[in-house]
Amino acid sequence: MGSRNSIVAAVLVIALAAGIFVALRLQQPPPELRSALLLPAPTPLPEFALVDQFGNNVSRETFRGHWSLVFFGFTNCPDICPVTLQILASATKNLRAAGAQTLPRIVLVSVDPERDTPELIGRYVDYFGDGNLGVTGSLEELNKLTSALGIYFEKQPGDGETYAVDHSAAVLLVDPAGRLHALFTGPHTVQDYEHDLLLLMGSS
Amino acid sequence: MSFARRLLPFILLLGAGCDAPQPELVATDVTVTRPMPGMTMSAAYLSLRNNTDRTITVTRVTSKEFALVELHETTVEDGVARMRPLPRLEIPAGGSVRLERGGKHLMLMHPTGPVDSVSLQFYEGETLLLTVGTAYAAPRPDRD
Repeated sequence: MGSRNSIVAAVLVIALAAGIFVALRLQQPPPELRSALLLPAPTPLPEFALVDQFGNNVSRETFRGHWSLVFFGFTNCPDICPVTLQILASATKNLRAAGAQTLPRIVLVSVDPERDTPELIGRYVDYFGDGNLGVTGSLEELNKLTSALGIYFEKQPGDGETYAVDHSAAVLLVDPAGRLHALFTGPHTVQDYEHDLLLLMGSS
Repeated sequence: MSFARRLLPFILLLGAGCDAPQPELVATDVTVTRPMPGMTMSAAYLSLRNNTDRTITVTRVTSKEFALVELHETTVEDGVARMRPLPRLEIPAGGSVRLERGGKHLMLMHPTGPVDSVSLQFYEGETLLLTVGTAYAAPRPDRD
């Protein structure tokens, strides 16, 4: 009888310990993101029809099957656009070198479709690595995408072909289901991208 | 005392002055990025140090290799990136101004021909303050 009580007591102690352990684990906050803002619920991309640098149609279906880092910019932007794409390219390269199983595709969507032909945007994104996607098309279709995602852009007055386009500086992370998953509002750093992408792409 | 002897201290003083001339405006860390593939415009970055006790105002920058050079500033406010021309660049007395990626920079447009190296002339009104020259750097630091 005594030994039976001992066994019951031991089981209870183990159960209690296990319960405390699980409770403590549950209380631990999830690892913190450094820069990215995670959407409470992923938002599906809207319907839109643009083209890539090869002339292929780009729609929300294009984003299915892989993670994408989407930046809105333009090729006549010699300062901040190359800096941002460089950061995305470096972070992706570092993740690959570190053996990450999942890597995002870098997508540049032109907010200057008037000047950015598929060929031009293709040469621009190719410079930052293979497999990048350059997207352009009509202003009307571009507006469908940007307005749904809260992306702002506005052409500024200029002299003929010389003008700038103000645009949102955020980089969007689209998940393999074609949904807006998180956004990086900046300032952008390679280290923050590496850290947050590992957490975000590993979480679903 | 001969005329030459009386003049000697002044000659020496002049020599000492020539020995260590203090340029009024000094440029360091000059980088001009090669245009992106398919593009013709470049950006130039550098630091400018004012060694005088007055504010130096750069009102114009020119280049033999580019028909148009403008002072620009990229700002990111409320999540929106903007690029605006700057009418002038003030370098405070004894201070420095840094032109860098994502901030103040020179935008070089309309190349006048094939370009391997770039010269830049900085003016205050009609006065040429400084000429600097540099070879192109890759727009991506880890390329070329």
